[in-house]
Amino acid sequence: MLKRMFLLVAASCLGLAAPAAAEDKPVLDVYTYDGFAAEWGPGPLLRAGFEKTCACTVKFTTAEDAISTLRKVQLEGPATRADVVLGLDTATAPEARATGLFVPHAVPVNGLVMAWDDPDFVPFDYGYFAFVYDTTKLPNPPKSFEDLIAMPDSFRIVIEDPRSSTPGLGLVNWIAAAYGDRAAEIWTGLKPHIVSMPRGWSEAYGLFLKGEADMVLSYTTSPAYHAVAENNPNYAYAEFTEGFFPQIEVAGILASTDQLDLARAFLTYLMSPEAQAIIPTTNWMYPVRDIGPALPAAFGSPPTKIIALDDEADFAAKAKARVDAALAAVQ
Amino acid sequence: MLRLPPFNNSTIPPHPRRQIAGAGLALIVTLGLVGALLAILAAGGVGTAPHGGAILALVGLTTLQAGLSTLVSIAVGMALAWALNRLRFFGRGVVIALLSAAIVTPGIVVAFGLISVWGRAGFIADALTALTGTRPDFSIFGLGGIIFAHTILDGAFAARVLLARLDALPPARLKLGQSLGLRAVERFLVLDWPALRGALPGLAAVIFLLAFTSFPIVLMLGGGPANQTIEVAIYAAVRLDFDLGRAVLLALVQIGFCALIVSVSALLRPASLPTAPSQPSRWRDSRPARLGAVLVLLGLGFALLSPLVAVLVEGIPALPVLLTRPTLAPALLASLAIASLSSLLAVALGLIAALARASATRPLVRLLLGAPLLGYLAVPAMVLALGAFLLVRNAGLDPERAAPFVLILANALLVLPFALATLGPPLDMLAQSRGRLLRSLRLSGTVQFFAVELPLIRADLALVLALGFCFSLGDLGIIALFGTDQFATLPLMMMRALGAYRSADAAALAALMLLISGTVFTVLPRLIAKVPDARA
Repeated sequence: MLKRMFLLVAASCLGLAAPAAAEDKPVLDVYTYDGFAAEWGPGPLLRAGFEKTCACTVKFTTAEDAISTLRKVQLEGPATRADVVLGLDTATAPEARATGLFVPHAVPVNGLVMAWDDPDFVPFDYGYFAFVYDTTKLPNPPKSFEDLIAMPDSFRIVIEDPRSSTPGLGLVNWIAAAYGDRAAEIWTGLKPHIVSMPRGWSEAYGLFLKGEADMVLSYTTSPAYHAVAENNPNYAYAEFTEGFFPQIEVAGILASTDQLDLARAFLTYLMSPEAQAIIPTTNWMYPVRDIGPALPAAFGSPPTKIIALDDEADFAAKAKARVDAALAAVQ
Repeated sequence: MLRLPPFNNSTIPPHPRRQIAGAGLALIVTLGLVGALLAILAAGGVGTAPHGGAILALVGLTTLQAGLSTLVSIAVGMALAWALNRLRFFGRGVVIALLSAAIVTPGIVVAFGLISVWGRAGFIADALTALTGTRPDFSIFGLGGIIFAHTILDGAFAARVLLARLDALPPARLKLGQSLGLRAVERFLVLDWPALRGALPGLAAVIFLLAFTSFPIVLMLGGGPANQTIEVAIYAAVRLDFDLGRAVLLALVQIGFCALIVSVSALLRPASLPTAPSQPSRWRDSRPARLGAVLVLLGLGFALLSPLVAVLVEGIPALPVLLTRPTLAPALLASLAIASLSSLLAVALGLIAALARASATRPLVRLLLGAPLLGYLAVPAMVLALGAFLLVRNAGLDPERAAPFVLILANALLVLPFALATLGPPLDMLAQSRGRLLRSLRLSGTVQFFAVELPLIRADLALVLALGFCFSLGDLGIIALFGTDQFATLPLMMMRALGAYRSADAAALAALMLLISGTVFTVLPRLIAKVPDARA
């Protein structure tokens, strides 16, 4: 920081104040979660696709998970290099909005599969939290949380810790949205079935694949990975009659950006048919736009019974209390 | 507890420069930690105080878990060291190398290995099902599973360190003991125990800290929120609540509590005992004693090594595919480079610390020279990552470019407590048992080091070097916030594979890291043993 300021002062004294590296292409700094930018994620293909059109360089800077990218931006404050934060979701967007670090995107959003009027964030993919199981080992999966609770104690599930994991927090929200005041009762009922509550999705899914649990908390899109990438059609998600709780992944522009136009163009590109065709088989989530046959059949159609929230901001604000209550119920 | 011989100040050669260097190191490490905590406070302001009762309950739970893990690890380590010291068999070197590799294996890999053997669909359950026709109903999840995993990591390390102490017993003493016809129990009490007990306080402190701050293993094998640790509360304070003040408060509780434990252990002065360059000698035991050693080795060896073997068995078939991944070579090179540099740094820092402490006599000075170096282990990983990130940013550096250097430094600091626990006891014993002689010779510090100390601790140095190398190879590091898609290490690559459904790649990477660690632990000590002796 100091060094940069010193250089700026020195440059202006010499009458050389000019945009740094003017001969280079402008750089769009995108903060995102590690899995998005990594080898198998959508990052590399999206970067290549956008760079073809923008005469710019896209630079991903990663943190462990989406919420950590928000923490990183919060730590850096207005001095952050980030232009775009990508990967926040409907559960964390209200908190991100409240930081005042983001600027309305002012990008037209239309033609998506969902109605969208959020002025600060645009959606780029979505999914639903769900319990995933192996159809060859579990021919009759439970059809609701109450069904699951009624299973014998030997029926085991693995869920993620809500304090350290996005799906873990998603389950807390799902149960709260579906059962309201009865949420604690549901959690108490789940307790005997919870074989482990590891730190993150990776550990939980690993335990499930090793056969330690009959179902794992994951996404409705997980079976599509096994079907498409491994040619294994044996995985499915359990259809819960309560309905499903969505996770919509969004991207937003920092108010401190020096590349506002580029950032807007990037957000528009994210929602374009070209980018949307990349996302399903790299991020294993549903596209926000109907991409026709580009979506592998294994994705099926998303579940239709969705739990809607009356007041999203209010719901998000009470997350901490819900997590404490859920943990207390299974303690 | 331990009856310690009175210390005579005049018996230790004074080396003020060593003490100054050691004090400088302790000071720098302390300042670094304080700076990290202050940087977090400056970024986040004063937080809301955590609920006192809840924190006490967490500390209580964590202490119970860490205390049990330490006791079991030390007991298992002593038994294994004893058996390995007495027995000679084909493959002994490989067993010792695998034991050494255990502690440097990422916790999550050990946990998955443990589940491959002991899980509901694991090897044991499958074997019992095949034998009895019904699936057995036991669970590896719970407090027992946590302690089991910690024992694999830390008990194997204890065995390795304690074995080095037993192997360093002077042959003359053994010969005398043998000619006196000591029985197995007598030999243990008269010869082995005095050699072991000097290493125990330092070892126990390190293991306690590791178990106390263990996080992924506790959550994964704990079987639900009944088994918790204070680390997860700190993680949640940063990640979920972004309450940095509270995170620092919780970190201070953890550091303070760990400091208390470490202080107690550091005040137990190591016993004085002659020691020799590591040359394991034969000892003829009675037949029942030998049988006991064989049983201990088979039982504990299976318990500790089978999860690691499972990691190899699952990962090796996927290695050929992994080798075709274009991202492997850069990650491998980055990991090897970082591991080489940080292990050299760790050995240098460890020597400074151990030499300084060995030349100090007062318990308080010894404590001040040693305890801060353990501090790194007591600081919650999340707080460390946050503090390092903020310090680097406050210094005006680009976190992304600084990432490899931060990783090297952090890994070296991580290995420092192990270096001190390994190098400290032999140097202490030398200072006390040969101190009068060294003092009368009036050797300079340099001459004393190269002529007397270095030959004695060469085997230990090799162990620390290997330990440092492999630790850095397997450490996920504190660069969670530094990250970039352009830079990867093997463990980071493994976590990425695991997070992207690629469990075969992840298994192959785990096996690859274990293979490299095992090789380093086998080869490095032999290489160092071949370096011409300075006395020759």
